[in-house]
Amino acid sequence: MSAPAASPTRTAAARVVDASKVYGEGATAVVALDGVTVDLPAGRFTAVMGPSGSGKSTLMHCVAGLDTLTEGRVLLGDVELGSLSDKELTLLRRDRVGFVFQAFNLVPTLSARENIVLPDRLAGRSPEPGWLDEVVRTVGLGDRLAHRPSELSGGQQQRVAVARALAGRPEIVFADEPTGNLDSRSGAEILGFLRRAVDDMGQTIVMVTHDPLAAAIADSVLFLADGRIVDHLAGPSPAAILDRMSSLDRSTPDPTAGG
Amino acid sequence: MLSLTLREMRAHGRRLLGTSFAVLLGVAFLTGTLVLGDTLRRNFETLFTDVNAGTDVVVRNDTDLGIDAGEGRIPASLVDDVARVDGVETAAPVVTGFGQLLGADGEAVGGGGPPQLAGSWTTDPDLNPYRLAEGRAPEGDDEVVVNKGAADAGDLAIGDTTTLLTPEPVEVTIVGVATFGDQDGLGGVTFTAFDLDDAMAHIAKSTDQVTSISVRGDGSASQAALADRVGAVLPAGVEATTGATVSQESTDDINALFLDMLTTTLTLFAGVALLVATFSIYNTFSIIVAQRSRQAALLRALGAQRAQVLRGVVAEAVIVGVVASVVGIAAGVGIAGLLKGLFDAAGFALPAGGVVVTGGTVVAGLVVGVLVTLLAGVFPAVRASRVAPLAALRAVAVERTTPSRARIVVGTVLAAAGTGLALAGALADGDGALPLVGIGALVLVVAAVVAGPLVARPAAALLGAPVARLRGMTGELARENAMRNPRRTAATASALMVGIAVVTVFTVFGASLKASMDDTIDRSFAGDLVVSTGPFGEGGISPALAGEVADLPEVGTAVGIGQGSARVDGSTKQLSISDPAALTEVLDLDVADGDLADVGAGSVAVSTTTAESHDWAVGDEVPFTFADGRTEDLTVAALYDGEDTAQTIGGYLVPRAVWTPHTVQDADTMVLVTAADGVSVADAESAVSRVADRFGGPDVEDRDEFAATMTAGVDMMLTIVYALLALAIVIALMGIANTLSLSIHERTREIGLLRAVGETRAQVRSMVRWESVVIATFGAVGGIGLGVFLGWAMVRGVAAASGGLGVFALPTVRLVVVLLVGGVAGVLAGLRPARRAARLDVLQAIATE
Repeated sequence: MSAPAASPTRTAAARVVDASKVYGEGATAVVALDGVTVDLPAGRFTAVMGPSGSGKSTLMHCVAGLDTLTEGRVLLGDVELGSLSDKELTLLRRDRVGFVFQAFNLVPTLSARENIVLPDRLAGRSPEPGWLDEVVRTVGLGDRLAHRPSELSGGQQQRVAVARALAGRPEIVFADEPTGNLDSRSGAEILGFLRRAVDDMGQTIVMVTHDPLAAAIADSVLFLADGRIVDHLAGPSPAAILDRMSSLDRSTPDPTAGG
Repeated sequence: MLSLTLREMRAHGRRLLGTSFAVLLGVAFLTGTLVLGDTLRRNFETLFTDVNAGTDVVVRNDTDLGIDAGEGRIPASLVDDVARVDGVETAAPVVTGFGQLLGADGEAVGGGGPPQLAGSWTTDPDLNPYRLAEGRAPEGDDEVVVNKGAADAGDLAIGDTTTLLTPEPVEVTIVGVATFGDQDGLGGVTFTAFDLDDAMAHIAKSTDQVTSISVRGDGSASQAALADRVGAVLPAGVEATTGATVSQESTDDINALFLDMLTTTLTLFAGVALLVATFSIYNTFSIIVAQRSRQAALLRALGAQRAQVLRGVVAEAVIVGVVASVVGIAAGVGIAGLLKGLFDAAGFALPAGGVVVTGGTVVAGLVVGVLVTLLAGVFPAVRASRVAPLAALRAVAVERTTPSRARIVVGTVLAAAGTGLALAGALADGDGALPLVGIGALVLVVAAVVAGPLVARPAAALLGAPVARLRGMTGELARENAMRNPRRTAATASALMVGIAVVTVFTVFGASLKASMDDTIDRSFAGDLVVSTGPFGEGGISPALAGEVADLPEVGTAVGIGQGSARVDGSTKQLSISDPAALTEVLDLDVADGDLADVGAGSVAVSTTTAESHDWAVGDEVPFTFADGRTEDLTVAALYDGEDTAQTIGGYLVPRAVWTPHTVQDADTMVLVTAADGVSVADAESAVSRVADRFGGPDVEDRDEFAATMTAGVDMMLTIVYALLALAIVIALMGIANTLSLSIHERTREIGLLRAVGETRAQVRSMVRWESVVIATFGAVGGIGLGVFLGWAMVRGVAAASGGLGVFALPTVRLVVVLLVGGVAGVLAGLRPARRAARLDVLQAIATE
């Protein structure tokens, strides 16, 4: 399943080249991505921001192998996703990608621990015990592992989701509004865990968010509008992000369109 | 509210489709049964009326012992007296009786239910229901006309010679082929007709006796008036009946013999199918209501009254019930046509004619369909109406998954009561045993439904354990899914449980029946060989065969047993005819009082059960009225316990010396034979077979073959029962499939999540399929458990009530097959939901609210 990239940048965990995504056809066609080219650097924390309908979620879905491009290429490591079948994409997600969604991250019938090792178990592997302990310790879940999701608070559930995303040592973790459903304290905790995963474990993380405070924890921020990358901030402050966002909001008059 | 209900239904049409289908199939089965019954009844009625149309009056012996009892004879000389009666145009003597025709291959034609008749060819075409289709009427010299159906079945043509067993073998020459009205025959009945003199000689066994006289009037008097006039010239013991009455009697006979049993049996199985359908519908409504509880709560919050919410769901049930019933009735009419075709294909040639759909059938289908749906829908409706308005504001699903205290108490009490009743029935003595078992069975089914949710979680955990072990994470997820909503799992499995329980009861009952038959043969039959006419005991063997076989040097003893009937204590009783003294040498009848050797002329032996119910003892005199109209007082000389011995003896054992003077065509249905000392069974068998060949070749079997032949009927019955229960199982499967589809709809996001974190489509499919298997196996195990217990109780109950069925047998292999069928059924039920789950688009699944 390897399709060697033209010239893989050693530091890029994922590369997007001339990516376009069009939903629908003819007059009703909606362009979600319009010729996006970007490198997502390995071992770094990248935030993706943009107003609703800017294509930020579409971009994440396409890089994560949940959706396919209409045109262009996505390389995850040295694998081009466009050449993969549905099954190969599934296995890629299972073995090489981690996910944290906004809500409904956990299988309600499984305990916290079973949820964390779910991808490994689906692959028929046993998780590395040492690494698992470290991840569980990092997110501070030690005594809650036997509980079902319904017995955990929203913040705890999200910590389990982060633990699951990290447990398989994926090449890249995608987080889609991971703090969107949390109060500010729990949200800050989750962001702290993600930051630590990058700093201490060398994890690559890509996070889609519309919260400038959340984005400020990243190493760099990509701004999308109308399916294009319109800006890029390195080492951003919340104020700088808020400033960019408000200028983007003014240029996109349709805030009701879905992301 | 109604418009909202309708809009709801349109939006969720697919979910309701599964529900409607369960009702539809049940109603179709019921309607099909009723229509088939009405159709056959009407067809036979028309047929008999048509064929008797030319006969105004029938003169016959006035002793009527009922169906199959044979008729007494009347003097042939009466023909002239009758012909002289004013208003009589023609009076034709008629002979009818038993005659088994052998086909070109030497095997008996027909049988297996419909009688094999022979008699005289009536030359007056108005008085003869048969019409010559080919050839000519018989003119003596043992020339015969046979009906077309029999000629075709036996591969016989005009000019052929063959054998007719009356039961003495007669060489006959076929000179004509006849039809019964327009049909090839009357159902599967075979008819061979001699001319009158030959018929009197071979069938009436007399030179001056006939069976009846058919009379055609000259049109000057009504049938009734003519019958009165004819009756006036007849001696005592002979009566004149109108043609219309005879037609009605024939129709009634067919109803009693065949149609009533057919429709009752089919209705019973339609009931099982409907019961299973009720569970499926209940479950679907429960889930739909649960999924909609937030909407119901919202309606309540917006000011809808509890009754309005209730009415909404009830209206939905009524609409589903009406639509499904209407379609079901239409399908039922089709099924009736199909069933009739199947009967035809199976060799029961039934009279042709259009399908009869009565208003009663339509009303019955509609009422039952709507009631069943309403009954299943009303509990979920009540639950929906109880939703608190506040529930709309809560995010969590309202359905409670932990069992309530009331459920635990009621379930336990019902289970104990049902078990107790069935046990009491099983251990009780006498006639009350079976009803107790029946009530216990009903209570247990209700208990299983109430208590099902209590055991569903641990049961699914247990049954799912091997799946989780074998299939890894996928299996574990399947197991967890089967455990997550015990009420739903239990309700889904109940439908299959009920179906499988009924299958199991029949399986256990059949096996016990076979084992009991084997056991009686083992214990009581001391012979080595049996000459018999087949598993149904139809046809007959000439009593001369037993005598000739007994004279063979290879044979020790040979005793014939025949069947007959007589009116005893006001009703017609089946008799066994034999030589009781000789019988003791081959059969152990377990004599309780008196001695069989004393049972000779003027006496009778009866079973102890018979003696008890009539309050007879050895030495009592009992009047027996035979088919010839004569009554004889017989002394009870012995009592025996072995009523079921060889399935033949029954309640009354009459010595041949008593029987022969009262019968016309004396016959045995089997001859029990022991080999002479020092002669091998094989040598004896070939010697006996040589004799049997001269008597039309009845089967000669050793003990094992005989036992197998005896029990063959049980297997045949079981096969029919399985076929009839298949529909209930199919409905149960659709219930599982429907529930799974609804569950998957609920779990869209969860499946999306699983897919996102790396569950392949194949794994999703496998997960759903295994969940289905766990649920189905739960139902199957419950059904088998319930069925084995009830089967055991029933066998015991029957044993207590009738003295039969002494042995309880557990057919392990068959039950394992039933269990496997349950599992495979689960796989099948899971196929479509699994495919749908695997096809879910990951992104949409994640995005679903």
